[in-house]
Amino acid sequence: MDIRSIFAAQKYAATRAATAATPQPDGMAASVGETINSFQQALQMTDRTSQDALAGTADPHALVHALAQSELAVEAAVTVRNKVVEAYQEILRMPI
Amino acid sequence: MSEFASALSTTTSALRLQANRIRMISENLANTDTPGYRRKIAPVRLAQDGATVSLGPVQLDQTVLEQVFDPSHPLADGTGHYDGSNVNLMIEIADAREAQRSYEANLKIFDQTRQMSSELMGLLRR
Repeated sequence: MDIRSIFAAQKYAATRAATAATPQPDGMAASVGETINSFQQALQMTDRTSQDALAGTADPHALVHALAQSELAVEAAVTVRNKVVEAYQEILRMPI
Repeated sequence: MSEFASALSTTTSALRLQANRIRMISENLANTDTPGYRRKIAPVRLAQDGATVSLGPVQLDQTVLEQVFDPSHPLADGTGHYDGSNVNLMIEIADAREAQRSYEANLKIFDQTRQMSSELMGLLRR
Protein backbone atom coordinates (compact mmCIF):
# COMPACT_ATOMS: atom_id res chain seq x y z
CA MET A 1 0.00 0.00 0.00
CA ASP A 2 1.20 3.44 -0.83
CA ILE A 3 2.34 5.35 2.24
CA ARG A 4 0.55 8.46 1.02
CA SER A 5 -2.86 6.77 1.04
CA ILE A 6 -2.28 5.76 4.71
CA PHE A 7 -1.47 9.36 5.58
CA ALA A 8 -4.55 10.49 3.72
CA ALA A 9 -6.73 8.02 5.64
CA GLN A 10 -5.24 9.27 8.94
CA LYS A 11 -5.84 12.89 7.96
CA TYR A 12 -9.40 12.05 7.02
CA ALA A 13 -10.04 10.34 10.37
CA ALA A 14 -8.61 13.36 12.19
CA THR A 15 -10.77 15.82 10.25
CA ARG A 16 -14.02 13.86 10.67
CA ALA A 17 -14.16 14.64 14.39
CA ALA A 18 -14.08 18.35 13.68
CA THR A 19 -16.86 18.22 11.10
CA ALA A 20 -19.19 15.88 13.04
CA ALA A 21 -22.57 17.34 14.01
CA THR A 22 -22.75 18.45 17.64
CA PRO A 23 -25.44 16.37 19.32
CA GLN A 24 -26.00 18.74 22.30
CA PRO A 25 -28.73 21.37 21.68
CA ASP A 26 -27.56 24.92 21.21
CA GLY A 27 -29.05 27.94 22.95
CA MET A 28 -31.88 28.55 20.53
CA ALA A 29 -33.14 24.95 20.53
CA ALA A 30 -33.10 24.93 24.34
CA SER A 31 -35.07 28.17 24.59
CA VAL A 32 -37.61 26.97 22.02
CA GLY A 33 -38.04 23.75 24.00
CA GLU A 34 -38.55 25.76 27.18
CA THR A 35 -41.19 27.93 25.51
CA ILE A 36 -43.04 24.89 24.21
CA ASN A 37 -42.93 23.36 27.70
CA SER A 38 -44.47 26.45 29.28
CA PHE A 39 -47.09 26.53 26.52
CA GLN A 40 -47.97 22.93 27.27
CA GLN A 41 -48.15 23.65 31.00
CA ALA A 42 -50.54 26.56 30.38
CA LEU A 43 -52.82 24.30 28.33
CA GLN A 44 -52.72 21.55 30.94
CA MET A 45 -53.56 24.04 33.69
CA THR A 46 -56.55 25.22 31.63
CA ASP A 47 -57.69 21.63 31.17
CA ARG A 48 -57.49 20.91 34.87
CA THR A 49 -59.14 24.17 35.92
CA SER A 50 -62.02 23.85 33.49
CA GLN A 51 -62.67 20.30 34.65
CA ASP A 52 -62.62 21.49 38.26
CA ALA A 53 -64.91 24.42 37.41
CA LEU A 54 -67.43 22.12 35.75
CA ALA A 55 -67.25 19.80 38.77
CA GLY A 56 -67.86 22.83 40.99
CA THR A 57 -64.57 22.75 42.90
CA ALA A 58 -62.78 25.69 41.24
CA ASP A 59 -64.02 29.26 41.41
CA PRO A 60 -64.92 31.17 38.23
CA HIS A 61 -62.00 33.55 38.69
CA ALA A 62 -59.53 30.71 38.35
CA LEU A 63 -61.36 29.49 35.25
CA VAL A 64 -61.31 32.90 33.58
CA HIS A 65 -57.66 33.34 34.50
CA ALA A 66 -56.66 29.97 33.07
CA LEU A 67 -58.67 30.51 29.89
CA ALA A 68 -57.20 33.97 29.29
CA GLN A 69 -53.71 32.62 29.94
CA SER A 70 -54.10 29.75 27.48
CA GLU A 71 -55.74 32.03 24.91
CA LEU A 72 -52.67 34.28 24.97
CA ALA A 73 -50.35 31.25 24.83
CA VAL A 74 -52.17 29.77 21.84
CA GLU A 75 -52.19 33.14 20.10
CA ALA A 76 -48.44 33.48 20.56
CA ALA A 77 -47.80 29.93 19.37
CA VAL A 78 -49.99 30.35 16.28
CA THR A 79 -48.27 33.61 15.39
CA VAL A 80 -44.82 32.04 15.66
CA ARG A 81 -45.95 29.01 13.65
CA ASN A 82 -47.33 31.24 10.91
CA LYS A 83 -44.00 33.08 10.75
CA VAL A 84 -42.07 29.81 10.47
CA VAL A 85 -44.35 28.47 7.73
CA GLU A 86 -44.07 31.76 5.89
CA ALA A 87 -40.27 31.60 5.99
CA TYR A 88 -40.34 27.98 4.77
CA GLN A 89 -42.56 28.91 1.82
CA GLU A 90 -40.26 31.80 1.04
CA ILE A 91 -37.34 29.35 0.82
CA LEU A 92 -39.39 26.98 -1.38
CA ARG A 93 -40.11 29.80 -3.83
CA MET A 94 -36.42 30.57 -4.14
CA PRO A 95 -35.22 29.95 -7.74
CA ILE A 96 -32.39 27.41 -7.94
CA MET B 1 -43.65 33.70 33.61
CA SER B 2 -43.99 36.80 31.50
CA GLU B 3 -45.04 40.19 32.88
CA PHE B 4 -48.45 39.83 31.28
CA ALA B 5 -48.99 36.44 32.89
CA SER B 6 -48.03 37.67 36.35
CA ALA B 7 -50.22 40.78 35.90
CA LEU B 8 -53.11 38.47 35.06
CA SER B 9 -52.55 36.32 38.15
CA THR B 10 -52.28 39.39 40.42
CA THR B 11 -55.51 40.81 39.00
CA THR B 12 -57.22 37.45 39.44
CA SER B 13 -56.22 37.35 43.10
CA ALA B 14 -57.64 40.86 43.57
CA LEU B 15 -60.90 39.83 41.88
CA ARG B 16 -61.15 36.82 44.17
CA LEU B 17 -60.44 39.05 47.17
CA GLN B 18 -63.24 41.44 46.29
CA ALA B 19 -65.62 38.53 45.72
CA ASN B 20 -64.77 37.22 49.21
CA ARG B 21 -65.32 40.69 50.59
CA ILE B 22 -68.76 40.99 49.05
CA ARG B 23 -69.62 37.54 50.44
CA MET B 24 -68.67 38.68 53.94
CA ILE B 25 -70.64 41.92 53.56
CA SER B 26 -73.70 39.95 52.47
CA GLU B 27 -73.34 37.74 55.55
CA ASN B 28 -73.21 40.86 57.73
CA LEU B 29 -76.21 42.40 56.01
CA ALA B 30 -78.25 39.23 56.25
CA ASN B 31 -77.59 39.08 60.00
CA THR B 32 -78.48 42.69 60.77
CA ASP B 33 -81.41 41.56 62.90
CA THR B 34 -79.75 38.51 64.46
CA PRO B 35 -79.48 39.01 68.23
CA GLY B 36 -75.88 38.97 69.45
CA TYR B 37 -74.33 38.96 65.97
CA ARG B 38 -70.96 40.69 65.64
CA ARG B 39 -70.05 41.91 62.18
CA LYS B 40 -67.22 40.05 60.42
CA ILE B 41 -64.18 41.93 59.23
CA ALA B 42 -61.06 40.60 57.50
CA PRO B 43 -57.82 42.41 56.71
CA VAL B 44 -56.33 42.42 53.22
CA ARG B 45 -53.03 40.55 53.15
CA LEU B 46 -50.12 40.56 50.72
CA ALA B 47 -49.14 36.99 49.78
CA GLN B 48 -45.64 35.53 50.19
CA ASP B 49 -44.75 36.19 46.55
CA GLY B 50 -45.16 39.94 47.14
CA ALA B 51 -47.61 40.42 44.27
CA THR B 52 -50.93 38.68 44.89
CA VAL B 53 -53.39 39.68 47.59
CA SER B 54 -55.73 37.60 49.71
CA LEU B 55 -58.14 38.03 52.59
CA GLY B 56 -56.68 37.40 56.04
CA PRO B 57 -58.39 35.49 58.88
CA VAL B 58 -61.91 36.65 59.68
CA GLN B 59 -62.25 38.66 62.90
CA LEU B 60 -65.33 39.75 64.78
CA ASP B 61 -65.92 43.44 65.34
CA GLN B 62 -65.66 44.02 69.10
CA THR B 63 -67.66 47.24 69.29
CA VAL B 64 -70.58 47.15 71.76
CA LEU B 65 -73.76 45.47 70.58
CA GLU B 66 -76.83 47.59 70.07
CA GLN B 67 -79.31 47.45 72.98
CA VAL B 68 -82.79 46.90 71.61
CA PHE B 69 -85.76 47.65 73.84
CA ASP B 70 -88.41 44.94 73.41
CA PRO B 71 -89.83 43.49 76.65
CA SER B 72 -91.81 40.87 74.72
CA HIS B 73 -88.65 39.39 73.18
CA PRO B 74 -87.67 36.00 74.63
CA LEU B 75 -84.05 37.18 75.10
CA ALA B 76 -85.03 40.37 76.92
CA ASP B 77 -83.41 40.93 80.33
CA GLY B 78 -84.95 42.54 83.44
CA THR B 79 -84.94 46.03 81.92
CA GLY B 80 -86.62 44.81 78.72
CA HIS B 81 -83.46 45.10 76.57
CA TYR B 82 -81.67 42.46 74.55
CA ASP B 83 -78.39 42.46 72.59
CA GLY B 84 -78.92 43.20 68.92
CA SER B 85 -76.15 43.05 66.29
CA ASN B 86 -73.46 45.67 65.81
CA VAL B 87 -73.96 45.79 62.03
CA ASN B 88 -74.29 49.31 60.72
CA LEU B 89 -76.19 49.35 57.44
CA MET B 90 -74.46 52.49 56.20
CA ILE B 91 -70.99 51.04 56.73
CA GLU B 92 -71.93 47.77 55.02
CA ILE B 93 -73.45 49.53 52.00
CA ALA B 94 -70.37 51.75 51.68
CA ASP B 95 -68.10 48.68 51.94
CA ALA B 96 -70.14 46.86 49.30
CA ARG B 97 -69.89 49.81 46.95
CA GLU B 98 -66.16 50.03 47.50
CA ALA B 99 -65.77 46.32 46.77
CA GLN B 100 -67.80 46.73 43.59
CA ARG B 101 -65.71 49.66 42.39
CA SER B 102 -62.48 47.82 43.11
CA TYR B 103 -63.80 44.74 41.29
CA GLU B 104 -64.63 46.84 38.25
CA ALA B 105 -61.20 48.47 38.27
CA ASN B 106 -59.50 45.07 38.40
CA LEU B 107 -61.71 43.73 35.62
CA LYS B 108 -60.64 46.66 33.46
CA ILE B 109 -56.99 45.97 34.20
CA PHE B 110 -57.48 42.29 33.34
CA ASP B 111 -59.01 43.22 30.00
CA GLN B 112 -56.34 45.79 29.31
CA THR B 113 -53.53 43.33 30.03
CA ARG B 114 -55.11 40.85 27.65
CA GLN B 115 -55.48 43.48 24.96
CA MET B 116 -51.87 44.62 25.34
CA SER B 117 -50.55 41.09 25.04
CA SER B 118 -52.78 40.41 22.06
CA GLU B 119 -51.69 43.62 20.34
CA LEU B 120 -48.05 42.70 20.88
CA MET B 121 -48.63 39.41 19.06
CA GLY B 122 -50.62 41.29 16.44
CA LEU B 123 -47.44 43.13 15.47
CA LEU B 124 -46.08 39.91 13.97
CA ARG B 125 -49.21 39.45 11.90
CA ARG B 126 -49.53 41.34 8.66
